[in-house]
Amino acid sequence: MKPDVWHIGNHELTSRFFIGTGLFPSPYVQREAIEASGAEVLTFAIRRINLEATEDDSILQHLQGKSYQYLPNTSGASTAEEAVRIARLARASGLSDWIKVEISANDRTLLPDPIETLKATEILVKEGFTVLPYTSDDPVICKRLEEAGAAAVMPGAAPIGTGLGILNPYNLGLIVEEAKVPIIVDAGLGSVSDVTQAMELGVAGVLMNTPVAKAKDPAGMARAMRLGIEAGRLAYLSGRISKKRYASASSGYEEFKLK
Amino acid sequence: MGERIVIMGGGIIGLSCAFELRSRGHQVTVLEISSCGGQASGAAAGMLAPFSENVEGPDDFFRLCAQSLRLYPAFTDRVKQVSDLPFEYTESGSMYIAYHDADILALEGRLRWQREHGSSGSLLQGEEVFRLEPKLSGKVRAALYTPEESHLYAPHYVKALEHACRLMGVHIHEHLEQVAIKDWQSSVVLEAADLSVFEGDRLVVCSGAWAQQLEAAFGIRIPVYPIRGQICAYETEEKPVHHMVFCNQGYLVAKENNTLVCGASEDVAGFETTVTEKGIERLRKWNKQAFPFLETWTPFHKWAGLRPSTQDGFPLLGALAQSGRVVMGVGHYRNGILLSPVTAQLVADSVEGKKMPDFMQAFVPERFS
Repeated sequence: MKPDVWHIGNHELTSRFFIGTGLFPSPYVQREAIEASGAEVLTFAIRRINLEATEDDSILQHLQGKSYQYLPNTSGASTAEEAVRIARLARASGLSDWIKVEISANDRTLLPDPIETLKATEILVKEGFTVLPYTSDDPVICKRLEEAGAAAVMPGAAPIGTGLGILNPYNLGLIVEEAKVPIIVDAGLGSVSDVTQAMELGVAGVLMNTPVAKAKDPAGMARAMRLGIEAGRLAYLSGRISKKRYASASSGYEEFKLK
Repeated sequence: MGERIVIMGGGIIGLSCAFELRSRGHQVTVLEISSCGGQASGAAAGMLAPFSENVEGPDDFFRLCAQSLRLYPAFTDRVKQVSDLPFEYTESGSMYIAYHDADILALEGRLRWQREHGSSGSLLQGEEVFRLEPKLSGKVRAALYTPEESHLYAPHYVKALEHACRLMGVHIHEHLEQVAIKDWQSSVVLEAADLSVFEGDRLVVCSGAWAQQLEAAFGIRIPVYPIRGQICAYETEEKPVHHMVFCNQGYLVAKENNTLVCGASEDVAGFETTVTEKGIERLRKWNKQAFPFLETWTPFHKWAGLRPSTQDGFPLLGALAQSGRVVMGVGHYRNGILLSPVTAQLVADSVEGKKMPDFMQAFVPERFS
């Protein structure tokens, strides 16, 4: 069987798990969990990083010696202008030319501002970044972001850190159907079943931080999530049965009828 | 007469528990494999900062930390009174600084819940920041100011606590090298490397990063890992920094003894407590961004301690379900000094069979087993 690889831009990926580096109880647990996740892409907030000495940053220093693709994010930005400003800082520091555009208008919901997100995406694509915008689960805005040149689009399942799971699977299904770039579910996932559901809907990958970092055993949960992603992906590829209203015996009743 | 209590560990937590239990009339023995306060306790910068250390939300650990801060003034007064040894306790307040406009949203969110939980803090921007800390870099855009936070001089606090314990009649045995648990179910019997035996009615485990070695003895998982924390200090003539200053990379605090302490550079290095050049350089790379005058300063003192971190970041606190004879107080990670009064109170309450507050559910020692 040919390996189930996928691409963002020209970058080939095997793992479908993007993991956030924040919130872990200690550097030791963080390292164990990231390893258990099998993730190839790590994300973190640019504002939390010491950009003048990234190799000595309090988070990134613990990840040295492994080759990860970094996906810095613009979390905390409330305008396209601020997001673009810190994206440029991140690239200039040599971290990565991948950028997750994350623009929130409100500190209570942290829901993405789709208008500013689209503006920032347009600007950063023109500047040659590989742009992965985090946005709401609206099929139209997701399409618009793709048309603006996003390398992948990342709709949220629910507000960041809530663990509420996929609030609108119908929308997410539509987004996947319409998309020509990878769709990655970002934010709001809580459990392995949420993750598996996302993968069954046909998304290319998921991004998580809180459900792993705040678990009682983060490394154990990272492994569980990894297996959930694999199971959901395989189920999507294998094709689930259609739903029926009434029972149909698996060993056909008709065959046993005396004729 | 009280009960006979044996405490494993003569760090800040063990000594605080000994002080509290002895104050309540129990007979207390402390067993220490090296010397009291010789590990993380003596290495700590003494930051009493539940708001700056817990930025995500008012979880059970934050509640524990905040309660401890409230207990602090009365607890340290008692320690000072009994020991007659002074130690610095400074109600300086803290500033959590930020360099980007993108930080402001997060600081606002933090301030919103912290103000509902005992902070009278405010978000400072522009000139307000520099009015409080004139030497901060002009690149600082905003700061969360929390007046409630304070700091103390940990090595002196630990010494005073140890001295108070001795004066009150706590038996402290140091340099035992190794202490094995011989019995903990029908009675408490421990044996040191030199074969001396210690007996009691109750056992309190306060052995910090070494607690994991007791997994086999109790038959439970004790996922406590040592995280090395490296700190450096500068000599100063007058206080160049007036508050505890935190940023996402670490903290700076000026002490009464004319030093400016900068911490902490964390790494995973087993039980190694050596100081590394890389560890200290990391501190020097960010601290000059916060305070440009540090560019030309060289630390005169560098040290390291092992912080006992746990798998979920919460301590293991309270009596074992299998035998109420054993009470755990381990895994305080970066907050051992802060958590000294509340741990002493909860451990003593637990020994005496008192009802535990609801938030203690999050710290049940067997939760990993």
